[in-house]
Amino acid sequence: MMRALIVDDELHPREELALLLAQTGEFELVGQAENGVEALAVIRRERPEVVFLDVRMPGVSGFDLLSMIDDDVMPQVVFVTAHDEFALRAFDEDAVDYLLKPVSPERLARTVERLKQRSAPSARPAFASAPITRIPCAGKRTIKLVNVSDVEVVKSTLSGVYVVSGQGEYGTELTLQVLEARAGLLRCHKQYLVNAAAVDEVSLGDGSNATIRTRSGHSVPVSRRHLPRVRELLGI
Amino acid sequence: MRLLVQLVEALSVFLVIFYLYCRSPAFRPLKAEWPRPRGKVRLYLVFTAIAVLGNYLGIPVLDGEAIVNTRAVGATLAGLLGGPLLGVLVGATAGVHRVTALTGAAAFPGAVATTLEGLLGGLVHVALRRRPERLMTRRVAFATTFVGEIVHMAIVYFLTRPFGQGAEVVRIIALPMILANPVGAALFMAVLNERQREHDRVAAASSARALKVAERTLGLMARGFGPEVAKELATIVKEETGVGAVGVTDTERVLAWAGIGGDHHAPGGPIMSPFTRQSISGNAVTFADGVHQAYDCRISPECPLNSVIVVPLQIDGAVLGTVQLFEPRDRRFLNMNRTLGEGIGALLSSQLLVTRYQEQKNLLLRAELKLVHAQVNPHFLFNALTTIMAVTRQDPARARELLGHLSNFFRKNLKRSGELSTLKEELEHVGSYLEIEKARFQHRLVVETDVDPSLLEMRLPTFTLQPLIENAIKHGLSAAVGTGTARIRAQRRDGAAVIEIEDDAGAYTERGGGDGLGMKIVDQRIKQLLGPDYGVSVACVPDELTRVTVRLPIEGVRR
Repeated sequence: MMRALIVDDELHPREELALLLAQTGEFELVGQAENGVEALAVIRRERPEVVFLDVRMPGVSGFDLLSMIDDDVMPQVVFVTAHDEFALRAFDEDAVDYLLKPVSPERLARTVERLKQRSAPSARPAFASAPITRIPCAGKRTIKLVNVSDVEVVKSTLSGVYVVSGQGEYGTELTLQVLEARAGLLRCHKQYLVNAAAVDEVSLGDGSNATIRTRSGHSVPVSRRHLPRVRELLGI
Repeated sequence: MRLLVQLVEALSVFLVIFYLYCRSPAFRPLKAEWPRPRGKVRLYLVFTAIAVLGNYLGIPVLDGEAIVNTRAVGATLAGLLGGPLLGVLVGATAGVHRVTALTGAAAFPGAVATTLEGLLGGLVHVALRRRPERLMTRRVAFATTFVGEIVHMAIVYFLTRPFGQGAEVVRIIALPMILANPVGAALFMAVLNERQREHDRVAAASSARALKVAERTLGLMARGFGPEVAKELATIVKEETGVGAVGVTDTERVLAWAGIGGDHHAPGGPIMSPFTRQSISGNAVTFADGVHQAYDCRISPECPLNSVIVVPLQIDGAVLGTVQLFEPRDRRFLNMNRTLGEGIGALLSSQLLVTRYQEQKNLLLRAELKLVHAQVNPHFLFNALTTIMAVTRQDPARARELLGHLSNFFRKNLKRSGELSTLKEELEHVGSYLEIEKARFQHRLVVETDVDPSLLEMRLPTFTLQPLIENAIKHGLSAAVGTGTARIRAQRRDGAAVIEIEDDAGAYTERGGGDGLGMKIVDQRIKQLLGPDYGVSVACVPDELTRVTVRLPIEGVRR
């Protein structure tokens, strides 16, 4: 049994696919997500082995989502879409399969075969992810996409990861590791990332820690461990 | 005094000759030909003739030693109209003629003087050439000749040999010449101006007629060149030109006839006239003026028509047909008709070209629209089918309903994109589409419709609403995570019908791509049918709303 997640913004295709998956007897459905932000949360929580992923979704597309998943929880990916023009890119992203809607049980059976071949323990897919330029954050009823260049600080708290920009603070499902690696943000503390372009002032404290003040006046601690690299990158 | 009277008599004869010349067909307007070499040659010949005639019409005095003459008129006017070179040439030619043909002691000084008078006229021409309306006046002609004649007298006085004789000659000829020549020049100028004005009037009347024809045929050609259009065309040309009869043919048959001879020149008959065949095969204007060459009707020997001009109608060098202007035997075929005919032919041909261009633009628009639909609809279809497959399991009745909407949507889509629909039909089409989309997006999609019922029968181009609403759903609502609301409003505002399609995502960006293209095509089709006052506009408040506004005339598109 493979642990599977379905990501699609439409209810009926999710239900239909869930039914088809159940009929194969090969999958254990760990959840259904109707957008990228939800999907990130479920993937982190449930660590599914395979994700059935729609491409066209509000806010965060299927491809965007792939670049936002931490490497250590990265599942196998099967794209499910009504558009055939994304197929090439999908295989470029090392997807296992590319299903066209409406999905037939016969076609799904072949997907199962492919998944079984790939699921050899060594083969965790390495997605050649594009850099993240916009960070999806949960808005009131929309997904707020914050441009990385507008971001000043990213902080990780008990209640989650927050992106701080000049306009405000937004919760995101992305992890500091992903944002550090793919959004070009600078790690200055175990719980903080800072945008080097937004640094306004660095005050060195006693000992070997420091505090960064950003354009909008947010204070960010710099830990002893990260100070040398911060100094190097900021040229001080 | 007696001499003055005689000279004025001579001048009068002269003026009569000049006046007759001006009325004759040989006369061409002088002004228009100023800059061209051919016009200068013509001026030279005309004014040399005037100056030489002045020699012959002069009155010999002192036993032929001197001639009281009006030669200066020709030279001075030539200078005024044609510039220094022409003035000098005319003066010198007349002077040489004076010396060689008619001898006398005052001949040589007179010749020199006339040449200088031509030069003087030329200098005045140079001084005033930028303001021709002041140059071509009686006053200037009078003053220039007056000054010229005083110079003339001085030259005769000093250059005549033996020296004493000059004084005697001047005593006799000075008064009549200094008075008569300027008056003569002024009168010549008056005749010339009067003739010129008349010529302008005729030209203006002819342009006005051609323009009137153009104005009345505007839009006529857009309906395509066929018997019906030809009939209207013939009537319009007949009414505006006032010729005896007007025929319109295609390349094989007579399409329409208006005026004399309609009894036997019936529409539908084959082309008989060699003039018309020649015009079609050579793509050229053919012409029979009724004098040198007569139109000879091949259908009826009783036909009163005897002169004709045949003008081809063409697009890109290919002849589509002809327009023919006829006059009966008892009316002279005016040259003006010929110019007019040629003008009308050129005008109609360019209207045909515009029509062809419009047609091709139309075709392109339709093709583009079809392409956009072909690109968008398959995805819509697959998504709809996926949804219906899921619904079938839970609620077969609802699935049937959705399939009904789907087939309704595609049936309407098959309608040719060039046709018109009522707003009601457009809303039904969009309604089927929205039903499917609502089934797909469930609670996430809310549609509010508010339509003024009095607008429901208004006609608009088919597919006006669907691409716009599809954009709103695709980029506005389905891109939003929470609930999205689409509002469709149709109301009367400021004397126009305004249809608004609004979504509350505010995600519109002004970039190319499929959605922008669909909107652009809708806009272009409306503008093409209804003019630049109508069409599609977009307003966007980022993250709040995108409002696409379609402005149409209240009465819609009239067939």
